[in-house]
Amino acid sequence: MPAPALATTSPVEGLRRRRLGFLEVLAQSVAVLAPTAALVTVPALVATAGGSLTVPAFAAAGSLMVLVAWSVRHAARRMAAVGGVYSYCARGLGPVAGVVCGWSLVVAYAALAVSSCVGAALYASALVGWAQHPCVVAVGVVVVACGVGLVAARGVQLSARLVLALEAVSLTLVLVLLGVLVVRGGPQAGATEPAGAVVVDALPTPGGAALALVLAVTAFMGFESSSVLGVESRRPLLFVPRAVLWTPAVGGVVLLVGAAAQMALLREAPVAVLLSGAPLDGLVRAEAGGPLPSLLDAAAAAAFVACTSGAVTALVRVLFSMGREGVLPAALGDVHPVTGTPVRALLTALPLVALVPVVALLAGAAPRAVLSGAVTVAAFGSLLAYALVSAAAPALLRRIGELTPAPLVVGVLASTSCAALLLVAAVAGPWTGGQSLALVFAALVVPGVARVVWLRRRHPERLARAGVYDEPTRRSVL
Amino acid sequence: MSDRGLTGRQPGAVQNALAVLEVVAHAGAGVTAKEVGELAHLPPATTYRLLNLLVGEEYLIRMPDLRGFALGRRAAALTGAAPEPRLSRAARDELRRLRGSLRVGVHLVVFGPTALRCADVDPELPLRDPALLERHLHAGAAGRLLLADQPDWREVHPPSRLVRLTASTAVRPHQLQARLDETAERGWAAQTGEVHDDVSCLAAPVRGADGALVAAVVLSAPRPRPPVDHLDAARGCAAALEPLLA
Repeated sequence: MPAPALATTSPVEGLRRRRLGFLEVLAQSVAVLAPTAALVTVPALVATAGGSLTVPAFAAAGSLMVLVAWSVRHAARRMAAVGGVYSYCARGLGPVAGVVCGWSLVVAYAALAVSSCVGAALYASALVGWAQHPCVVAVGVVVVACGVGLVAARGVQLSARLVLALEAVSLTLVLVLLGVLVVRGGPQAGATEPAGAVVVDALPTPGGAALALVLAVTAFMGFESSSVLGVESRRPLLFVPRAVLWTPAVGGVVLLVGAAAQMALLREAPVAVLLSGAPLDGLVRAEAGGPLPSLLDAAAAAAFVACTSGAVTALVRVLFSMGREGVLPAALGDVHPVTGTPVRALLTALPLVALVPVVALLAGAAPRAVLSGAVTVAAFGSLLAYALVSAAAPALLRRIGELTPAPLVVGVLASTSCAALLLVAAVAGPWTGGQSLALVFAALVVPGVARVVWLRRRHPERLARAGVYDEPTRRSVL
Repeated sequence: MSDRGLTGRQPGAVQNALAVLEVVAHAGAGVTAKEVGELAHLPPATTYRLLNLLVGEEYLIRMPDLRGFALGRRAAALTGAAPEPRLSRAARDELRRLRGSLRVGVHLVVFGPTALRCADVDPELPLRDPALLERHLHAGAAGRLLLADQPDWREVHPPSRLVRLTASTAVRPHQLQARLDETAERGWAAQTGEVHDDVSCLAAPVRGADGALVAAVVLSAPRPRPPVDHLDAARGCAAALEPLLA
């Protein structure tokens, strides 16, 4: 019998409910994790810091992310939210920690969208053979952002299918490419240049090893993002937790294999290639002729477009959730009546995502610097959110009277590890200028914290609504 | 896309899951996980896992406070067909009045949560095969009212059951989806030649005070187009039946 407590409408009414199948939900997480884009950029960076510990660093980072995912899964099995990790955190640790987590997720998704926009423009311009001049890349960024925005406005199903297709294509291309390179035996070291083995086989300092771990974690960012599809997936309490756990587990294996293959190749490549910032590109261009360089560019561009699309989807849904709750202006919670997309949140977020890199590029910043800088900011945001949500999951279970020892132990372990990594990242700095990027991140979090303080003083009732989820309505019970 | 991890060789797990369902059914909406564990004599970790499994599959739902549980829509499908209809004399009189004024078949179907039953068939112009309407929800007008009312029609009527009855039956999911969207938008359902080649019908819903679908007045006629000229009469009858059925 329907209990009187049940409402007739869900607080997240208006989104297109129950459309996405499991593959489409999985694609969201995979796209933002962007295994292809990560394979193209991250392993070489890890190698310069971690040397011989590169592959173990990926294994350790993957294991830690699986622990975080396991914690997230406990919350995802119990509530279908649009804010994803933010909503879990708000329900587990209370609204203040929740909004801090949510705002750092907003910063992380936005920064990830910025960086992948630049990445897509960079590799697309290389594919068509244009110079990688900042102005050209800036035009590319605008094109990519507009394209992603148009698809996102047409509805979540279309963007989910787009990222699924792009990810499948790009991952296949890169794995084939790596396979071809490994089979060919890779490059031979020139007599005059020192081989990459100097770097790849070096034993790192403890600081270097910690840095390598932090960098490896950045390859896993976004695995949790399918949690924002709680309302739109067909069986949210089944698909979302599964996607959240599978993505880092399977993605970790792909990254591990890819990283090991790259290490084998880079060991024999000239050091200059390894330190170039895009060593896989250099390797392919120097050693493999024919269509292979274009193949790599196409794969990377596709992956970055998928990542942009996924990050925008997640960003928009977190903003939508905050708008519905009244934590942010209510207009952000508006939904287009026909397509069911949070169109106001999209129109607010997308121009910023495009404008920031365009301004930076036109001001003369190197495209690769914008890409890596934005990724670093995203890493800070993700790590903070992971530390909070890992603690929130056992707290949520305790609140609803379902806590058992395993989630508690895993949650505490994952939470403290992420917090420790965040500190290392802030102190050591993942790339040159890491500390200054930590300051940039801190500055970006300030508005969120200020909002929490203001809400707490002026509108505690709005703050208390933080973390809405798709509540069952009278229609959903027997 | 369901979990195939559990096989027939683990009868204990199946028994436990059924025990959990039974406990929730008996205890009523709002029973907590701890209470379920105690009532079903299961250890906490097993209880939570089974509850989450059943919630994921939507046999159970979590109440808005996240602590309590209730039977979900999918559990309704387990009980099978719609309840055996018992119509009051007032309701039958209302139908008889409409039959007297129209020259098309006037029937009443009642809805369960996931099924329908032909409760009162026009004795003068009967339905050719009521069982077809009850089984093939995708083809008949009344079945479409029911499917259009679901959050996801695939749960009640899987695409594998989209049987072709005539050449014009909607048998592709997107085709049916388009027709259900149309039905939901205008608030009544119609079909032409999708159950029998030469019969078309329309269905006007009877809804309860909370908006739940209770029954439908169905008009059928051997015509190439649904009898929309009598739509207002069917709706009037449905409105008159509301206090008698809901």
